[in-house]
Amino acid sequence: MQNDYCLKTHNLSKVYHGLMKEDTIALQDINLEIKKGEFVSIIGPSGCGKSTFLRIIGGLDKPTKGSIEYEGGPKQDLGFVFQDSVLLPWKTVKQNAGFPLEIKKIKTKESEERLDDLLNLVGLTEFKDSLPRELSGGMKQRVSIARALSYDAPILLMDEPFGALDALTRDHMNVELLKIWQKTNKTIVFVTHSISESVFLSDRVVVMSTRPGKINEIVDIDLERPRDVSVRETEEFQEYSKYLRRIIG
Amino acid sequence: MRAKGKVKASFKLIGEYLLSISIFILIWQIYVSTHDVPTFVLPSPKIVLKSFLELFSTGMIWPHLWTTSWEVVVGFLIGVFLGILFGYFFAKIDWLKTALMPHIIFLQTSPKIALVPLFVVWFGIGVTSKLVLIVSMVIFPVMTGVILGIGSIPTDVRYLMKILKANKWKIFSKVEMMYSMPMLFSGLKVGIVQAVIGAIVAEWMSGKVGLGYILTYGSATYNTGLLMAGIVVTVLVGIISYEIIDLLGKYMLRWHDSENLSKIN
Repeated sequence: MQNDYCLKTHNLSKVYHGLMKEDTIALQDINLEIKKGEFVSIIGPSGCGKSTFLRIIGGLDKPTKGSIEYEGGPKQDLGFVFQDSVLLPWKTVKQNAGFPLEIKKIKTKESEERLDDLLNLVGLTEFKDSLPRELSGGMKQRVSIARALSYDAPILLMDEPFGALDALTRDHMNVELLKIWQKTNKTIVFVTHSISESVFLSDRVVVMSTRPGKINEIVDIDLERPRDVSVRETEEFQEYSKYLRRIIG
Repeated sequence: MRAKGKVKASFKLIGEYLLSISIFILIWQIYVSTHDVPTFVLPSPKIVLKSFLELFSTGMIWPHLWTTSWEVVVGFLIGVFLGILFGYFFAKIDWLKTALMPHIIFLQTSPKIALVPLFVVWFGIGVTSKLVLIVSMVIFPVMTGVILGIGSIPTDVRYLMKILKANKWKIFSKVEMMYSMPMLFSGLKVGIVQAVIGAIVAEWMSGKVGLGYILTYGSATYNTGLLMAGIVVTVLVGIISYEIIDLLGKYMLRWHDSENLSKIN
């Protein structure tokens, strides 16, 4: 089971053609294989193309060259969590979380119940009838995670989802995310610029370098699971962080 | 608590309005009684009120009121429909916008009243030319609202819809339309006022029925009391139709920040 791939990229490249200046190579020959149920973080300095890479995996951007292979075929369902929660301001928490079901017309009694379970999982049952403007940043992001999970896509792509949150909320959300990941068995690809976040969450950390955006190194994180906040205090954790800091440079 | 405060506040507002209008009418009455003003120039408020009540008690007003309201409603609805349709395609298809925008701007900036004689030549003095005028006045503010609204949708929302593999109709009906609502309703508020103006002006030019006709009739026969009573009726039609749109907007936009500013103060 663990050896099955979930998605593979082959020589993925992205070039932005400049009219007046030189072409910008955002991504160059990215080959990455992500296993089923794996938690992979992509980290690198800003401008290294990590968000572009994630958008291409999500089908939101087209690669200039190369291809992606999904385990579920080219029409693979994906969940995507953006840096901003991107909630629809006129919909309640529950309606926002269930929005994909509305679009995909798969609203059934069962899906409704599953939605309630999901809201429970992200700790928002009490707020299910609130409007987004009544929620804090962390709560909004939880709604968007529930939304990404609502249609049971096997892959969850997350683009710096906690980047806009304060440090305390962020640590808390990291623990929550691990719990959700363990309960739902999703494959998660997580873009971040926080070293400690990537070490805390991931099975593997993909370190990218800038201009051209390439994979510099892939670091396996062999910390015991389930992890909680105390992991951060261990020597191994510090070692991984130090090592990553050095290679990101 | 807040609902109670709201009711109280609106009663206070209505009270202030009534007081302000009463003072105005009082000054008007005093001016007419102390100065020797001919009735056909400025009738006293009493005469205007009498004409106003007569319009209703004799039942004379109903066919006119009905005709004007019908024109306003039908013209407004057609204008809104076409405004949304044009707005959507203009926002989506660049070459269409480039090709047609100059004509639309020409149509919008030209005083529409100047076009009425042309409409009469083209469409006759019947209801068609009136509806054409009303529609032409409503389309532009609605269209502009929709174009701005669709343009205001955050990129990430578009990405979300793409991730969910939503088709164009789903994107339009579930997201674009709702994001356009605030702009659309400011367009609708301008549009409904324009529709009433359009109806009245069109009735001046042609036909023997409608509130606009009452005005020209009162003017031509020096029946200034009737004329002013007619003006009051058109003002009421304008206010009522505007308030309906405003209330509808408040209901539809109860999620929007603009409706919650009062809570901050």
